[in-house]
Amino acid sequence: MRLLTIEDESELAGLIAKAFGAAGFAVDTAGSLAAAEETIAVMSYDAVILDLSLGDGDGLALLRRWRARGASVPILILTARDGLDDRVVGLDAGADDYVLKPFHMPELISRIRALLRRPNAALGLRLELGNLVFETEHRQVTVAGRVLRLSVREMALIELLLRRAGRVVTREAIESSLYGFDAELGSNAVEVLVHRLRRKLQEAEAALQIHTLRGVGYLLADGP
Amino acid sequence: MTAELPEAARPWSLQARLAWRLAGVTLLAVALAGAAVGWRAIVAVNSLEDAALQTQARAIGRHLSVAPDGAARLDLPPELDAAYRYSHGDDLYVVLDAGGRVVAASSAEALSRLAPFLPAQPGLFSTGPDRQLYGLMTTDGAFRIVVAQGARHRDVLVDSLMQEFLVAGLWLLALIGVTAVVVGAVTLRRGLRPLSAASRAAAAIGPERPGDRVPLAGLPNELRPLVQAINGALDRLARALDVQRRFTADAAHELRTPLAVLTARLDLLSGEGIDAMRGDLDRMNRLVEQLLKIAQLEGLPLDVTQSVDLHAVAVEAISLLAPLAIRQRIELVLAEGAGSVIVRGNRPALVAALVNLVENAMAQSPPGAAVEVEIGADGTIRVLDRGPGVAEPERADIFRRFRRGRGSRAAGAGLGLAIVSEIAAAHRGSVAVGGRPGGGAVFALHLGTARPA
Repeated sequence: MRLLTIEDESELAGLIAKAFGAAGFAVDTAGSLAAAEETIAVMSYDAVILDLSLGDGDGLALLRRWRARGASVPILILTARDGLDDRVVGLDAGADDYVLKPFHMPELISRIRALLRRPNAALGLRLELGNLVFETEHRQVTVAGRVLRLSVREMALIELLLRRAGRVVTREAIESSLYGFDAELGSNAVEVLVHRLRRKLQEAEAALQIHTLRGVGYLLADGP
Repeated sequence: MTAELPEAARPWSLQARLAWRLAGVTLLAVALAGAAVGWRAIVAVNSLEDAALQTQARAIGRHLSVAPDGAARLDLPPELDAAYRYSHGDDLYVVLDAGGRVVAASSAEALSRLAPFLPAQPGLFSTGPDRQLYGLMTTDGAFRIVVAQGARHRDVLVDSLMQEFLVAGLWLLALIGVTAVVVGAVTLRRGLRPLSAASRAAAAIGPERPGDRVPLAGLPNELRPLVQAINGALDRLARALDVQRRFTADAAHELRTPLAVLTARLDLLSGEGIDAMRGDLDRMNRLVEQLLKIAQLEGLPLDVTQSVDLHAVAVEAISLLAPLAIRQRIELVLAEGAGSVIVRGNRPALVAALVNLVENAMAQSPPGAAVEVEIGADGTIRVLDRGPGVAEPERADIFRRFRRGRGSRAAGAGLGLAIVSEIAAAHRGSVAVGGRPGGGAVFALHLGTARPA
């Protein structure tokens, strides 16, 4: 996994490179918009960390330019800028995530990993959480090395939750992703599905849990 | 707040004022013209009558003769005599000799009417209790000749002249007056029409559209300076706002960047005391965040005109806090309720407010407890916890800055609830805390802007 960090605070850029390096990423850094343009012209990256306030201009302009050119690389904005609306503006401009400085390194690494799990990222993907592994190419789930048998819907649900692990997936998102817009849904279809998946995970002694946020949705996290 | 406005500040209508004044001027013009015509008529009638009286006096003088015995006598030709006789007392004369004895009179009645008023000097006079007699005294040799007419004569003449003026002139003047008022009002209305367009444009200018200006197009020259001055004031305000915005952004950047370096550095270390330092730094980071947010809310106007779904606000706030809640083993619940509740407001600010309320509730909740969020159809957001609650005397106080009213478990700097209060105020709303049956606290954020968006 190759990562580009566009950050004009060289100290912070160095610390990010060190941390991501330790987490198994190859990291390049660019200290300005110009350097970033040069780098991206010759290299292809799996994800980009973009600071907004750069010495030679606004990171948002770069983001808009890339998106206009059709670049689909996942981009995470890492910024000290936080007007209440800045987050919205950043996401509207085509960013995939928005992290405000100061931040904790493990949090940043997990957010980048989450971006790489997105469906528009690499296709043949191995999603891992706790002792569970999901091979997207072979549609196979294993817990601690043992294959877990799941229905098509259960498989789709665990994939959805895995791709957004650590974050809330709303019930509406699950309904529209699993059943399409037209399907006639029982009011508790999602609850029943989650309940079945939870039981199977429990029986297989999976080291992860589907947390319920009543009225909102579900969150998959590792841990008992 | 309902003090009487001083006279000068009371609103008034240019149109109404112009119409009234034009009407007043027209009435005055009519009155003046009437008076002038009347006066002219009287002068003309007077000079006519003066001439007539002179002629009469001369005629009487011509027929005055003195007999050799010194007795004076008046021999009027019969037609003249008849004219005086049949004038019903409207034309009369008296002739006196040097001794003041009456030589002749048109009638005995004439003598008695004129006698009390006979002037000492020659000239014009008018007499009687109502000046009903108008006369002339001339001297002819030793004789004094007094001729007079009843006022009825003059009145008839003046009346006919006035009537002519009223019929021919007055309605013309009135027509001109009415036309002036109507043309004035229409011109003013037409001329001021661009002003209502300008007013609408001005009303739409706000923090969400600080670049808009009042259009000058179509405005009359008299109004341009005002609109230009308003636009100039808006320019200066926009610049001040921009300076403030940039300062807040710069301050945020300058404060967060070194904290980010420090946090990242600490995250790469491990060893004794590092976790404690990490905790200290987190508190510091949080305090800086909250101070920046307060500065931002205070210094910059919040655009509260967006259409916001409070249900979506609650989903976002709960989603943001879900990982923390799971770590603290606190259940977050969004109460099944009204579904979408659309209000006017600022979504990021409302999310921030609700995050603060839920964080506060989580800090007060024991592990295993639930924190509930309820959205009322009236646009009220409620956060309910099962913590120790807030004692009655502290309830008003906890929304003030740096007050940590709710025990010592709260790790925050005591700014979270002040931020909520600030955001509520920006939405012309309020936040309050109450007790919850069965223990705990209920925080209610009511939005003044909660009307169908």
